[in-house]
Amino acid sequence: MVSEEIWALIEIFVFPGFFFLFFLAFFTEWLDRKIVAKFQNRYGPLYVGPKGILQPIADFIKLLSKEDITPSMADKIPFSLMPILLLTLAITPLFCIPMIGSDALISFEGDLIVIMFIMSLIALLVFISGWASTNRFSSIGSIRAGLQMFAYEIPMNLAMIGPAISAGSLSVSTIVDWQIRGVWNIFIQPIGFAVLTICLMAHLQKVPFDIPEAESEIVSGWIVEFSGKKLALIRLAKDFEFVLASSLIVSLFLGGPYGPWYISPITYLAKFLLCVLMLSNLRAAFARYRIDHLLAGAWKYLTPLVLLQICLIKVLGV
Amino acid sequence: MSFEIPFGPQHPALEEPINFMLEIEEERVVSVKPRLGYVHRGIEKIAESRNYQQLVYLSERICGICSFAHALCYSQTVEELLDLEVPERAKFIRTIIAEMERIQNHYLWLGLTAKEMGFETLFMYAWRDRERIIEMLDMISGKRVNYGMSTIGGVRRDITDSMVERIEESLKHLETRAEYYTKVCTKDPSILKRTVGVGILRPREARALCAVGPTARASGIARDIRADEPYAAYGEISFRVVTYRGCDVASRMYVRIDEIKESIRIIRYALKNMPEGPIRVKAPIKVPEGEAISRVEAPRGENLHFLKSNGSIKPERWKIRPPTLANLLSLCRMLIGVNLADVPVVIAGIDPCIACAERIALVDVKTKKREVWDGKDLWRYANEWYRKRYGL
Repeated sequence: MVSEEIWALIEIFVFPGFFFLFFLAFFTEWLDRKIVAKFQNRYGPLYVGPKGILQPIADFIKLLSKEDITPSMADKIPFSLMPILLLTLAITPLFCIPMIGSDALISFEGDLIVIMFIMSLIALLVFISGWASTNRFSSIGSIRAGLQMFAYEIPMNLAMIGPAISAGSLSVSTIVDWQIRGVWNIFIQPIGFAVLTICLMAHLQKVPFDIPEAESEIVSGWIVEFSGKKLALIRLAKDFEFVLASSLIVSLFLGGPYGPWYISPITYLAKFLLCVLMLSNLRAAFARYRIDHLLAGAWKYLTPLVLLQICLIKVLGV
Repeated sequence: MSFEIPFGPQHPALEEPINFMLEIEEERVVSVKPRLGYVHRGIEKIAESRNYQQLVYLSERICGICSFAHALCYSQTVEELLDLEVPERAKFIRTIIAEMERIQNHYLWLGLTAKEMGFETLFMYAWRDRERIIEMLDMISGKRVNYGMSTIGGVRRDITDSMVERIEESLKHLETRAEYYTKVCTKDPSILKRTVGVGILRPREARALCAVGPTARASGIARDIRADEPYAAYGEISFRVVTYRGCDVASRMYVRIDEIKESIRIIRYALKNMPEGPIRVKAPIKVPEGEAISRVEAPRGENLHFLKSNGSIKPERWKIRPPTLANLLSLCRMLIGVNLADVPVVIAGIDPCIACAERIALVDVKTKKREVWDGKDLWRYANEWYRKRYGL
């Protein structure tokens, strides 16, 4: 009995809980930076640890020790609350993702809806944190973040609903389970997979859609007033969002931790790295779009495409 | 809702301090107020207390990127006052250096513009290729940025046969790269989306606002001092004045990429047909009384120098009109009606000056031995160090 409880504690705090997730987040940031650097003919992080693998942790600690400035005109409570909320909300959905076996740490019917809800909340928090900074660049950045949400939110959620329809369940763990008994969703819903990838790039604010923080236009937009600990938390939250995005693709479309040979976290990690590679590759290959390009593109192409995908699922019955 | 946004003087998109007050209405620019003067150095005033020989070096420090264009323009002005005939070989060398400078400037511009539209990969690629032409300039002149090549009455260093071979080699590389960038910039949908139809400057406006250089040529106006009023050896070399009719940022990009190719052709011709002879003539220190104007097509457009001499060894007045100043009015016109997201891309015509630390002196503390490294040593050391330490 006692050993079971210890086992549960280990699951929550060590693997695949907090400890593992933190390191996965830092590792993902390092990998992303390294891959993009490779594409751009640079070295990327080099100095801290072998091949610079500890650079994200060093950056995090450095930012924690820096001066934390709150602008005198800022809305103080939301301004200091938002980074913490962003980080919390970015970690929470990761517990619904099955990494070891078919069961996630927290798994119940409808957890996919919770994940969607939390992802929308994150976009809202981004808007509020930019707005609370009362900086002209942040205001524009937060307006852009809000507009961007209107663009990608609906196709993204519809693309996530696709696998749920075919599996007949709103639980991520059941969807993963269904895929091992049937086929991976990527083979039967390729359009949904593509749309979800594009929308996740927009959700993560990665390069073709880094419109809310466009550095060369509005000086990193909604983040511009955050410094010190708050910036460290926001950056970590963004890393977790990246982990969440890759994990969602793996769980919904690539069959989670199930491999062709055996079930294990290693299979999960291999697929996860593949997704990071894909997202980073996309990040290196484009120029930034304008907000009106994104809005038009999302409503003209992404939403009809994903609706077509859902119709196809219904019609073909897969 | 309309509000004002300060663009600069400190802004990631601007490499040099200038301020634009943008009035924004729903992300669209309604009015622009430019403010200059953050880096005023009083060069024209300094000039009144220096002699003509010293001013060659001062003229190079006006701008880091168009340094040769300024030095050349100044030298030509003094030569006109002195009524000095420059040797043919010097004229050809001046042409070669000026065109090499144009190539490095245009690669730099391409990279910066890519960065402004958030395309970091293209930025890295363009700047890596720019390194090739800077190496060549370094080989000829001994410096990467302020070449110190032009002087009153000719040039200071000669181009030898062994240099010609190496230049040919890098020109070949740069030509293939220019072809590649043409392909990228005409095909890539995300670049096209950000540049086509952005920052329109109609030919009529360009003419009325006195646009110069690639900005004017992208609006279909074939205005090029090299062809209109040939200086150096441009009169003996045939080349095409590149014009595009798009009037937008995309056209400005294509004009510059095509000019790179045209410059490569000019350099090849000049290297082949360079006459033998001296590279400079001796110039007197005192300059007779009079006024003179000289115009040079700098990489960014027409560069104008005016000199008034009172018969002493120092000029009475030196007036410089760089191309950026001429293009500022057109820039303000282009910005109106532009989306805020496109402002950096439209402004991108303003190039930065980069001071590259190129040489270092190493002093061994124990033996007090001094050793001077040049770029190649530094390069080799850096590569070895990284390879050894990280196994790259």
